[in-house]
Amino acid sequence: MNTPELERLLMQQPVSLLHRLARGRISRHFRSGKRKLVDLLLQASAENRPGLESDLQTLIDERAQRPQPAPLEKTRPAQARSRQAVPATPRPHRHDDHGHHEPPVSLHEWLSGIGVPPPQPFVPDAWQVEALAKLAETDVVVSVPTGSGKTYVAIEATARAMRENRTVIYTSPLKALSNTKFTEFSRVFGPGQVGILTGDRREHSQAPLLIMTTEILRNLLYDAAGGEIDVRLDTLGLVIMDESQYLADPERGVVWEETLIFCPSQARLLLLSASIGNPQDIADWLTAIRPTPCSLIRHTKRSVPLRAGYLHPNEKLTPLFRTAGIPYGQPHLLHPEAKRLFMEYEEETGPSRSR
Amino acid sequence: MPPSIHPVDLVATLRQRNLTPAIIFLTSRRACDEAMQSFERSQVTLPKAQQEQIARVLTQVTEQFPSIAEHPLIETVQRIGVAAHHAGHLPSWKIAVEELMRTGSLDAVFATTTLAAGVDFPARTVVVTQSSIRKARDFTDLTASEIQQLAGRAGRRGKDLVGFAVITPSPYIDLTVLTKGLTGQPEAIHSQFVITYPMVLNLLKAHPREQIQSILAKSFAQFQLNQRTAVLETKLDSLRAEMEPFGPRVCSDWITQWQVFEQARKRKKPRSPFARQESPDVAARLHFLTPGRVVGVTRGRGIILRQYRSKGQHAPMVTLLREGGSLNECPASIVTQVFDRTFDCEETSAYPWCTPQTLEQLTHHLTDLPPRLPILPILAHQHEETPIDSSIIQTLGDFACPTCPSRQACQRDFPRASRVRQEIQRHIKSIQALQTSLWHRFQERIDVLEKFGYLNATAQLTADGEWARLIRIDHSLLITELIRAEAFGAIDPPLLAAIMASIAHDDDRPGSFPRGSTGLVTLLFQVRKLAESLTPHEAPPMLRADVAALTERWVSDQTLTWIGLARLTTMAEGDMFRLFARTIEFLSQLKTLKATHPSLAESADHAIAAMRRGVLEELP
Ligand SMILES: Nc1ncnc2c1ncn2[C@@H]1O[C@H](COP(=O)(O)OP(=O)(O)OP(=O)(O)O)[C@@H](O)[C@H]1O
Ligand SMILES: [Mg+2]
Repeated sequence: MNTPELERLLMQQPVSLLHRLARGRISRHFRSGKRKLVDLLLQASAENRPGLESDLQTLIDERAQRPQPAPLEKTRPAQARSRQAVPATPRPHRHDDHGHHEPPVSLHEWLSGIGVPPPQPFVPDAWQVEALAKLAETDVVVSVPTGSGKTYVAIEATARAMRENRTVIYTSPLKALSNTKFTEFSRVFGPGQVGILTGDRREHSQAPLLIMTTEILRNLLYDAAGGEIDVRLDTLGLVIMDESQYLADPERGVVWEETLIFCPSQARLLLLSASIGNPQDIADWLTAIRPTPCSLIRHTKRSVPLRAGYLHPNEKLTPLFRTAGIPYGQPHLLHPEAKRLFMEYEEETGPSRSR
Repeated sequence: MPPSIHPVDLVATLRQRNLTPAIIFLTSRRACDEAMQSFERSQVTLPKAQQEQIARVLTQVTEQFPSIAEHPLIETVQRIGVAAHHAGHLPSWKIAVEELMRTGSLDAVFATTTLAAGVDFPARTVVVTQSSIRKARDFTDLTASEIQQLAGRAGRRGKDLVGFAVITPSPYIDLTVLTKGLTGQPEAIHSQFVITYPMVLNLLKAHPREQIQSILAKSFAQFQLNQRTAVLETKLDSLRAEMEPFGPRVCSDWITQWQVFEQARKRKKPRSPFARQESPDVAARLHFLTPGRVVGVTRGRGIILRQYRSKGQHAPMVTLLREGGSLNECPASIVTQVFDRTFDCEETSAYPWCTPQTLEQLTHHLTDLPPRLPILPILAHQHEETPIDSSIIQTLGDFACPTCPSRQACQRDFPRASRVRQEIQRHIKSIQALQTSLWHRFQERIDVLEKFGYLNATAQLTADGEWARLIRIDHSLLITELIRAEAFGAIDPPLLAAIMASIAHDDDRPGSFPRGSTGLVTLLFQVRKLAESLTPHEAPPMLRADVAALTERWVSDQTLTWIGLARLTTMAEGDMFRLFARTIEFLSQLKTLKATHPSLAESADHAIAAMRRGVLEELP
């Protein structure tokens, strides 16, 4: 297909399809018209035209097979339901705009239960135990929500590797995070046991646990492949990549790929992230390219449940959704009070809001 | 004044509802600083005990990072228990604020969304005031993944039974973006694999060319291309099944035969009379010459207002707004570059083809544009269908079709069969393209590196390639070419640091800066010329003279203190820190060239040593 044909085909598609196509190509979907979206798509895919064409074809085919859009709710796993913090009475099976709802949650109910849990002895979660068990046999991708305790898995796995006299590399995308982890891990393992490598500085570079940015690790791997061994890669037992959703970063994502492709085969891989939409793909990919298979540890339930609220400029606070917890998969379940206040806000600020 | 809640009232409400500690995400660094200022004026004061706790934590962190002691906000933070945290701050200050939050000493932190991922910085409540963030010059919506990273800071395990994400409106907020982000799934990751020059050199150092394709096949990019291939192959199978009834007839390739016969019979010209006479380059560009697009012409730049075809020749034409405000009607071929920049253009149906306001805005935009703009890569395609050779179109008498027994079947099946055949060919092509596209891109890079002499004709590293592969940073081609052009011959450390800073810096935030030495100005001019000549192969860096001058000052004047340096510029301290940290990173790559370029490596080493003083010494 040449450029004009492709463009014509794109222009014929409904905007919703273009938005699906734009996902992952244009890092944010611009709130601009169709014309600009098509332009952006053509630009973004200049390097990978076949990819765009085949995706476009797939979407068009999908559409042709399914003239009426399927209900969206079905795509959410059932467990999402159980996340509501205050399930007062069982909810009807499926939300239905014409049917009746349960009454919306009250502010009082929404605010209830704030507080500090009583101190409890540390018991690792089942997923943490499972991740560590799996890591004895396979590489592991951990995809669990923020604040779940991924660091615990990293620390336990590191301790185990150290007991077996193997070195560990921990990478993070940001120097700031590397520094925080350096302090934290030094506290856990003792200062002499942890080293940090940055652009040109190395502290304790012979320590069993080394912290660095992903770029530095990539460079080490290239040096090793080129024959100049810098750090003892032969004893490397574990590579931990925190915040691995950076794989999708337009500028730096390629470094994550290079690192994963060239990571020594005897080292175990542990990838940690809270926000990857397709972690199974990542695990399948690693299984395909590495000698050991890769397991996926995944769950979506937050350890500390989240509630969403709306605060009006006049200081009035109300729940954002009809339910106390966040209604996953059902963005339209707005609390009537929040809806009313926000409409009021939009009316007041109306004309100036055209962006 | 934006119609949103006042920061002091916001924190008061949160305190009253027992929703602190909170992280409050604001749209800009300035908004964070202004929020802090409004607290300075307020009467809020913390109880003594809490003030003392803050002081204790700060003293502790100051032992490790002495620069914190001088921070102007210390007193306010202690008095009110609220702080700001954004990229304009020094890392040491950010660490102090993080430590204060971790110890539960603060009630609220105003932060920009840059904080979202990866900083260990939890709170009971997160307040979101925006649904989009400013990136480059556009406001773009937050992704579900970003929204979940923001909201995910709320609810500390072990310290909270529940966490809260509170939305409070500010102008430009779009509630649907936020509710969808909160309730939806994070976006799937798509590979961002690109082939860089250092990648090519390093791979070819370790592996022969024959093995490269199998290494590229290990990328996530190829994994995802394979997923698409699988979809196409299923489709291809079903197309082949559909094609089955249309196998060989009297003639084996009856579809082509019938097609030629049909064309001859209709004596239809293969293409419309207004076939594009323009070159493939112009044709490919045409689609980007839309109203509002910034383009380069032989002399200067302009913005497209309209595209049309001339009456007589049907030649592609554009109406172009030129610098200075004049409107020109010119052939589309006048455009030499299409930039990756468009502005809103409210079109009208008569001269000047847009509203007066748009015209005025665009004229302003045109003068305000930065000197260097990213260029859109546009692929020119040769026309794929070549018209049927006239020698084939003979008299109808030469065709067997009219009397052929299969004629009726052919006539009946032709439309469907030819469509399916086209589809099959298209799919086969797509599959091939998916399987070979990475390798093609790799080869393109090989060609460039060979042209410049880093690789020989058999794709092995030359002497230059051997050292060039150690430069693994952005703009590597520019840097290695500068080294080869001996631009850094016997260069002084300050000058070297300054040039590296201008290559490393990729922020276009305006500001005021000191002036550079004449030596620096001359050298930068040469660097800029070289960078421009490399544009077809590598996007040029911004090469800002002002940040170069700032770096030069810091390296050359060893008595200059950090505070003194900060007074010379309006650049934020955090930005200065990042600029220098990145410059040191670039310089340390030059240091690795000790074996082949000893004097350059030494100069880089001196520059690093000279740069690393004051706050730059504090962090590893
Ligand atoms: N099994 C557990 N029981 C109780 N608390 C735990 C458990 N595991 C971890 N935690 C605590 O949870 C908190 C958050 O953990 P951590 O920082 O590892 O989160 P994370 O998953 O890395 O989140 P993020 O995606 O935000 O980086 C820590 O304070 C940790 O001590
Ligand atoms: Mg973490």
